[in-house]
Amino acid sequence: MEDRPRINFMWHLVWDFRSELLQGLVTAINVSISALVLSFFVGLFFALMRMSRYGFLRGLSSTYVNIFRGIPALVSVIWVYFGWSLLFGYNFTVYQAGVIALTLLYSSFFAEIFRSALEAVHKGQREAGAALGMSRIRVFRSIVLPQALKIAIPNIGSMFIGMVKDTSTFTVIGLGELVYITQSINAQYFQPFVLFTAAAALYVAAAFVIDYLFRAIESIFSYPRQSPVKRFLTRRKRAQVQRLVEANS
Amino acid sequence: MANQASSTQALMSLRGIRKSFGSSEVLHGVDLEVFAGSHTVIFGPSGSGKSTVLRTMNLLEEPTEGSVIFEGIEYGPGVSNSKPKRGKALDLRRQVGMVFQQFNLFPHLSAIDNIALAVHSVTGKSKEEARERAALELKKVGLIKWAMNHPAQLSGGQQQRVAIARALSLDPKLMLFDEPTSALDPELVGEVLAVMRQLAETGMTMVVVTHEMGFAKEVGDQCIFMEDGYIVASGGADFFDTCTNERARQFIGSVL
Repeated sequence: MEDRPRINFMWHLVWDFRSELLQGLVTAINVSISALVLSFFVGLFFALMRMSRYGFLRGLSSTYVNIFRGIPALVSVIWVYFGWSLLFGYNFTVYQAGVIALTLLYSSFFAEIFRSALEAVHKGQREAGAALGMSRIRVFRSIVLPQALKIAIPNIGSMFIGMVKDTSTFTVIGLGELVYITQSINAQYFQPFVLFTAAAALYVAAAFVIDYLFRAIESIFSYPRQSPVKRFLTRRKRAQVQRLVEANS
Repeated sequence: MANQASSTQALMSLRGIRKSFGSSEVLHGVDLEVFAGSHTVIFGPSGSGKSTVLRTMNLLEEPTEGSVIFEGIEYGPGVSNSKPKRGKALDLRRQVGMVFQQFNLFPHLSAIDNIALAVHSVTGKSKEEARERAALELKKVGLIKWAMNHPAQLSGGQQQRVAIARALSLDPKLMLFDEPTSALDPELVGEVLAVMRQLAETGMTMVVVTHEMGFAKEVGDQCIFMEDGYIVASGGADFFDTCTNERARQFIGSVL
């Protein structure tokens, strides 16, 4: 015990490099938000394809899902960043490569989330819309999708937290996200325990905030209980209905 | 009413409707005429095809063979593979309202928005105008005070009345009812039948699939008894007293 060197935890480093560390988290979240938006639409597209009446499209969609769902983020980003440039001579920026790699991966998860959510909407809902003479697009947009989103949103929130964490692997292509920053500070001071504890705390804090935000979004789609957010968004409509109720009573 | 209209053209006719699900045929050639202002009631045991007949009338079920003719326009595949000019299902559905056994209200929308969405998206009226129309329809079924309630906050009977109001908001020329009271608690059946009776009195053309024989007898002026995918017996308003078909008499006796 006597021989063991005294360990000096330099906790002040966390404070000294607070703006660099936060910048790293912001970069991670930036990449994730871009990828979230893209994954949302690409995933929805493949979910609809998966439910198509044409077997060819269904096959194409399930192939896409099964391939990209199986590729780790680290492999995906190396392939996009280095592989694409070798194959086609086009160089993505590290930011673009990160967004594309995450989108490839998460759009396949989103496709599955949307498929199960869309299938969970009762068949009678589509029939009621059709019987009223609504177009297929209108039935989807105004009847099926809002109900499916309510089911899908909690899962999308979890996926988004996963995306932020997966950006940590993008340190291999030199994207200046949280782990990359942490590693470069560590290279100077050799304080892995202190620095990576700080990084972990930032990831967890981000996860809490994301969870809170997605609960707020979910509340907009929830019914019949109306959240304050939704009540605010629909205040004009409710005022009109109130007038109509009084006029017709 | 059916008799006075029989000299003119039917509002809707079914000609030789056959329907198969996979390899089993559930309708074996159904012919039926529905005249403007008439009230057709269809009844029969479960699996007799009565709901399927009703669902072909707005092409929710595309017939395997046969035609649906509405106001002189022919829909469906027709007979003997002739391909005359055909109407589009969407155009037919905009003129034919339907009420389902399970109500099928949109759970994410309030009662008034259930109706307003239909009006806005089908007629192209603005959302504000659509809500005004929706409020009128809710008033007619006595539910204006529940306008802001979501379906989950309404009783079964109230939900079905909203569903009727929703269908009526598009000014249909024909209303289809698919066992509208079968999913309701017995004490809630009355309020829905009252709304339907009221509608019948205004001269709306109605086709009703029902197990409510009392209602059928009272309102029906064309009575159809179905079994195993065939129309076995049919008659006018006096069908329940004059019917000679033994199977139909037996069924009526067991239900009444």
